[in-house]
Amino acid sequence: MNYMILLPVVLPVIVGFVLLFLHEGVFRDRKTLLKVTGVSFVVSAALAVYAISGAAGDRLILFRLVDNIPVYFAIDDLGRLFAGIVVAVFLLAGFFSFGYMSHEKNEKRYYSFYLITFGVLMGLCFSGNLVTLYLFYELMTLASMPLVIHNGSKEAVMAALKYMFYSFCGAYMALFGIYFLYKYAGAPDPLRSFGGMWDYAELMGFVPGGSLDMAAVAESGNTTLCLTAVFLMLVGFGVKAGCFPLHAWLPTAHPVAPAPASAFLSGIIVKGGILAVIRTVYYCVGTDFLRGTWVQTVWCILAVITLLMGSSLAFKEKILKKRLAYSTVSNLSYILLGLSMMNAAAFTGSLLHVVFHALIKSGLFLFAGALIFGTGRVKVKEFAGLGKKMPVLFWSYTICSLGLIGIPPTSGIISKWYLAAGCLESGIAGLSWIGPVALLVSALLTAGYLLPLAVNGFLKAPLDEKELDKYREPAPCMLVPVVVLAAATLLLGVFPTPLMEFVGGIAAALK
Amino acid sequence: MNGIIFAVLFPFAAAVLCWFLFRNRKGKNDIAAVTMLLVSAVETAAVTVPLLKNITGTQFDMVTIAGVGGLGLHFMYSGFRGVFGVLTALAWFVTFLFSKEYMAGDEKVVRYDFFNLLTLGATMGIFYAADFFTLFFFFEMMSFTSFMWVAHRQTKESAYAAGTYLGIAIAGGMAILMGLFIVYSRIGTLYFGKVCWETVSLISVGADPTWLYVAAVCMFAGFGAKAGAFPVHVWLPDSYTQAPAPATALLSAVLSKTGVFGLMLVSLELLPLQGSWGVFLLVIGVITMAAGGIRGVMSCNFKTTLAFSSMSQIGFVLTGVGMQVLLAEMAAGFYGDTERFEEAVGVFGMAVNGTFIHMVNHALVKLVLFMTAGIVLAQAGGYELNKVRGFGRKKPFLLVTFLLAAAGVGGIPILNGYISKTLLHESIVEYTSLMGDAAALTGFMKAVEGLFLFSGGLTVAYMTKLFVALFVEKNTDSALQRKYEEQKQYASVFTKAAIGLCALPIPFIGLLPELTAERVAAYGFVRSDVEAWYYKHVNVHYFSPKSLFGAVISIGVGAAVYYLVVRLWMLRRKDEGYQEVFPAWFNMEKYLYRAVFYTALPFVLGIISRILDSIVDIFVVLLRRTVYCDRALPYELPEGNRVTHRIGCTLERMRMIYCVIARKEYEPKHYEHRLAIKSTDFFENFRIIERSLSFGLFMFCVGLGLTMIYLLMVN
Repeated sequence: MNYMILLPVVLPVIVGFVLLFLHEGVFRDRKTLLKVTGVSFVVSAALAVYAISGAAGDRLILFRLVDNIPVYFAIDDLGRLFAGIVVAVFLLAGFFSFGYMSHEKNEKRYYSFYLITFGVLMGLCFSGNLVTLYLFYELMTLASMPLVIHNGSKEAVMAALKYMFYSFCGAYMALFGIYFLYKYAGAPDPLRSFGGMWDYAELMGFVPGGSLDMAAVAESGNTTLCLTAVFLMLVGFGVKAGCFPLHAWLPTAHPVAPAPASAFLSGIIVKGGILAVIRTVYYCVGTDFLRGTWVQTVWCILAVITLLMGSSLAFKEKILKKRLAYSTVSNLSYILLGLSMMNAAAFTGSLLHVVFHALIKSGLFLFAGALIFGTGRVKVKEFAGLGKKMPVLFWSYTICSLGLIGIPPTSGIISKWYLAAGCLESGIAGLSWIGPVALLVSALLTAGYLLPLAVNGFLKAPLDEKELDKYREPAPCMLVPVVVLAAATLLLGVFPTPLMEFVGGIAAALK
Repeated sequence: MNGIIFAVLFPFAAAVLCWFLFRNRKGKNDIAAVTMLLVSAVETAAVTVPLLKNITGTQFDMVTIAGVGGLGLHFMYSGFRGVFGVLTALAWFVTFLFSKEYMAGDEKVVRYDFFNLLTLGATMGIFYAADFFTLFFFFEMMSFTSFMWVAHRQTKESAYAAGTYLGIAIAGGMAILMGLFIVYSRIGTLYFGKVCWETVSLISVGADPTWLYVAAVCMFAGFGAKAGAFPVHVWLPDSYTQAPAPATALLSAVLSKTGVFGLMLVSLELLPLQGSWGVFLLVIGVITMAAGGIRGVMSCNFKTTLAFSSMSQIGFVLTGVGMQVLLAEMAAGFYGDTERFEEAVGVFGMAVNGTFIHMVNHALVKLVLFMTAGIVLAQAGGYELNKVRGFGRKKPFLLVTFLLAAAGVGGIPILNGYISKTLLHESIVEYTSLMGDAAALTGFMKAVEGLFLFSGGLTVAYMTKLFVALFVEKNTDSALQRKYEEQKQYASVFTKAAIGLCALPIPFIGLLPELTAERVAAYGFVRSDVEAWYYKHVNVHYFSPKSLFGAVISIGVGAAVYYLVVRLWMLRRKDEGYQEVFPAWFNMEKYLYRAVFYTALPFVLGIISRILDSIVDIFVVLLRRTVYCDRALPYELPEGNRVTHRIGCTLERMRMIYCVIARKEYEPKHYEHRLAIKSTDFFENFRIIERSLSFGLFMFCVGLGLTMIYLLMVN
């Protein structure tokens, strides 16, 4: 058995707990703590890379909950893609937090939960059937909650409660769907089992193109109920992906967390919801079952509503981090819209946007963190004129913003292109062109809410000239992650071919 | 063909390099300026080489940079592109020459140069693009980098203008992208040539072309905005006025042409032989040239007048593009009838040549004029006509170059504008005559012709206004006038060379059109896979009485308009000089676009979104107030009971309100306490009575009485 797969999942969790329960006095000073944490970050990431590379093997049945349902890990290309982004953002945001967390309390607790969340996310990416996925999905909520609640203010506590409430609501909807679908989860396929070691391993397991036994569904006459169950799963998992109507936790919870945690939440954890949706629709239920049904239509409509709503709220928002959180709501719905179209082009666009958005939004949140750390200001208007003092930081922001709007030569244009092409290709009456129009209107709003900060930062006079001398570029451990993310935005736009081929391979396997 | 890739990428590399070299060198603007000159000289050489090798471009294949932006970038070469590539590089060269002196004192010159070079690279990318995606790719880049031109001065006004510029650029870019989505999803290719082939074959089998029109209108919004076409021209006057003079020269001379280039590709690739699109362009073109001309005449700001003049001239160009489409459709309709076909093709050639030559002319003229405006600003410190009045007196170099340019664009015979305007005018007239009298469009074409001549007159009028103000009249402030006249060192050799270089071809094109303009215009057809086969059919006598007559009409109209509007209306008060006569409330940009797109739409969207955003939260709150109501714990009252508590509290509050209303000092009367004591007394007394013998007897009596009443009633 390939128990090595477990390493990147279990080790960070163990280290995290050890760190959590160690007495403060163990670490003589902050530097020792940072050294220990830094090493554990690198080791965890290295293990994850080891697993992603495939050297650890690709399947592992850990144990069986009941006879038919194992806790089962399988590493496929989709999992690799998601895990790869998680590792990248985890490291960058982690090193950023070494600088940022110096003015927060309870640093040790923060790092331990950060590590635990990373381990859980690895489990989520590598899980091989719906039940395992659900398990890690719930754990993800629990593990990331302390990141939201970190500063302990009343606002943070209320936000964390809201986060828990919404997440569990969604998870239970999804759980209902899992219970229901279990009945039609496909007959065991002797050809797919390997080594004769198990019989029912692929019950609810992930098969490209779906493992739902459609004949059984049709026979039972429960098609409508089955569709409802799938819809509930979509809405349920969609909660994490900030899909209307259950998105309201996101703009509340993300801004109150410390900035690197916001970056991780907004860039990565929300992608957990996306991954769950992809696994459900494309790897369990199968698009053939959903295509052309009311589920697809309603899903599209919800996504369109969310993406316009998120952008216009971000446009109206004055506090930078909240603005970015609303922008996350909007951008996640680009991805959901693409997924709801159920064709290869849109799917490719969605996955590309998963990657690009993760990098860009983390970059933007880290930028916000660096600014808040350096100036103590929070409103967008208050950052006018700071670009002269922090040119590298503001240039990185500008590039990330252009990426999110989708201006060539940054990366955003590529995902947008595939998303729109996929929408038009889908041929769903009305929505096939409403989708692209909504994307472009949203891009316009994105320009409206992101660019003024860059333009005013460079060109406008600062609020008070006297204060200006105090400010300078943030410390390297905060500046470098932002620059790296901005560079990635630019490079992936100019040389997207390897990534596109990889994603294209995933999309092609679904056929 | 790596020369083209070099030409596109070299400015980007040079920009980054120069940024790092000169970033921290304050006050060494000279070295930077010389470097810029070198860079643009290399660029000019890079684009001139392929032009000299083979001007038609027939032997060149498409070159590709795979993967960039997802679809990869594709470049090609054709005569049109070659000419405009060289024109672009030269324009940059002369403006760099000009900036050497003009920007010498500017603190931000490195930033300006950096964005300038980026824009150069992007513009090259646009002109050499081989598919719509590459076109869009570089078009967006160009919009963003040129934004820094408009914002360069960092004043409040320039920030406002730059905001509008960026808004329109982004919105236009998104519109273009929408058009591309439609085309790509319907046709599956974006290559020039192939798109045309596919659409022609689709329409020939009777497919509904509505979606093509939708795509074309979307792209019009984007490309037309950059060109400055009505109704998306609103950014133009402010941005042109706010940008530094060399940047304005480039905006007007080259960047507006990229918009026209895009529109030509849309018209000739996407909608070949679609007459109604031609009519649409014609209407837009006519409105643009008339509106620009009218605003130009009525403005009392030197640079704003030039800005509106740009808009007006782009209107002429658009009219030409519209005529190309209409004539192509007509020629295709005559196919088979050799004589009429060849005639139509000849007229088509006139439209193509006219459009092309007018684009080149306008670029040259506007380079001269905006650079002159730069000198005016540097020496006179402003653009207001009253301030710069008399500035040009006793400055012969300025007089000659300005006169050449102004009269050139005004369409005065023997100068360049006359050639292009004659060609365009002839194409309209000939089209009308070829159409026959019975055709439905005759009246419309007559109106177009009339407005064409009228707008030509407006050009003459506003150019006369500028010329008279600058070179003929004396400033009302005689001290200032003396200062102006004593300025001998108003421009360095470099500056004069820049202006002189651009003014030089103007008379040559005008005097020897067959040798100069027509030779180049043979490659004026933007469609790549068609050689200039129509060339031999073009037959125009530029200096025939018939052609001259049009010019005479325009000049007459110009003189009349100048006299009526400028002399009688703008100068109606002798002492106060020129006065703005255009109503300030008629500002589309401020009261229509900004009001709708910056205020109204976000407001409405914001309200709807806010409601949607809080639906679930409201629902949760409702649930907590009703079903999951967290009620306060019941507590023991210290005295009295609920009734006395309620009544007492109510009375107390009523008294409090009464006191507030009657403005009396409030003293608590403790109604609640009093009532509680009363009730305790009452209940205690009642209990005493209840337990006494007399109460028992009393109750017995009551019972007896009730029994008696019952018996009485029964009986």
